[in-house]
Amino acid sequence: MSKHLKFLVVDDFSTMRRIIKNLLNELGYQNVVEADDGTTALPMLKAGDIDFLITDWNMPGMAGLDLLKAVRSDPRLAKLPVLMLTAEAKREQIVEAAQAGVSGYVIKPFTSETLKEKLDKILGAPAK
Amino acid sequence: MATPDPKPLAARYGSRVEALVAALARDDEAGFLAVLDDILKARKPALIGELRDLTCNLQSALERFRLDARLADFAEKEIPDARQRLAHVLKLTDEAAHRTLDLIERTGPPAERTAKSAEALAAPWKRFRERRIALREFHEMRKHMDAFLPAARADAELIRSNLNAMLLTQAYQDLTGQIIGSVIELVGEIEVALAALGHLSGGEPGTSERVPRSSRGERQAGPGATHGGIATDQRDVDALLSGLGM
Repeated sequence: MSKHLKFLVVDDFSTMRRIIKNLLNELGYQNVVEADDGTTALPMLKAGDIDFLITDWNMPGMAGLDLLKAVRSDPRLAKLPVLMLTAEAKREQIVEAAQAGVSGYVIKPFTSETLKEKLDKILGAPAK
Repeated sequence: MATPDPKPLAARYGSRVEALVAALARDDEAGFLAVLDDILKARKPALIGELRDLTCNLQSALERFRLDARLADFAEKEIPDARQRLAHVLKLTDEAAHRTLDLIERTGPPAERTAKSAEALAAPWKRFRERRIALREFHEMRKHMDAFLPAARADAELIRSNLNAMLLTQAYQDLTGQIIGSVIELVGEIEVALAALGHLSGGEPGTSERVPRSSRGERQAGPGATHGGIATDQRDVDALLSGLGM
């Protein structure tokens, strides 16, 4: 049933969105929508049917960390799983994301195994 | 400029000028010229000093001019040009990535199709080998096999041709690598020119390299860029987060 989860992938690079979407499809998650930054992602999240958010950090408009904070401050979205998938790898940034309530943090470049491992961990059980 | 002699003018020249005026009054040409030579001899070191200063100034002005011309060239031509070339790199890498992704997405279905057809044939084939297949199922399997063999071949050829196209798509690395290499070279030249400018402006030679890169540090490190205080791989991140209780 977890295979029917609806994912929102937020990244300003369309190639990265495609890569993540393909990897998610490969892992059995077929329901994936995309947004190119926080500003376009937030209304989609507020619309209410997204089950899992995967977001980049560094984006024009609204950055991933601000998106994460906006999600956590919305009572209806506060419990949404949020995986940060980013090239930002400074210790302070990782700590900042953790304090803002991120559910998982993967740095680019990443492997499909790492993505699967983090998804499984966040979702509580192996998806396969 | 040569430093002026601290002694008053009268102490330095008074007696000589008096002798000069006296020789003039006497109409003593030899005496007049001798005093004049003496005065000129006394002025010589100061003149040479001034000449040396003048040459030095001229030299550094020329150097500065050359450097200014080089920096102007960087600012007006080479940096905008480099920016344009980097934008081209961005475009090439974007196109190559999308082209590769297109090919990957087009390669999945034929592979899956072949795997599924082979899987569907496996059970009736096993029954056939064990001689316990019904005649109707045998005819169905034969029909299925007739369709499967040319389809599998066509799909495999499609996969091979897509892989070949993916291979060719990687040629972007050669082009972008050359452009990035030339931009790295330009950045090096600018660094040298800026360091020389700092030196001409009175800074210690080489200090430009040691300037703390605070403004750069504020920027995003970017993928694969490793500086201090940065987790370099996923294990570092996981260790950090588990240290935070996650």
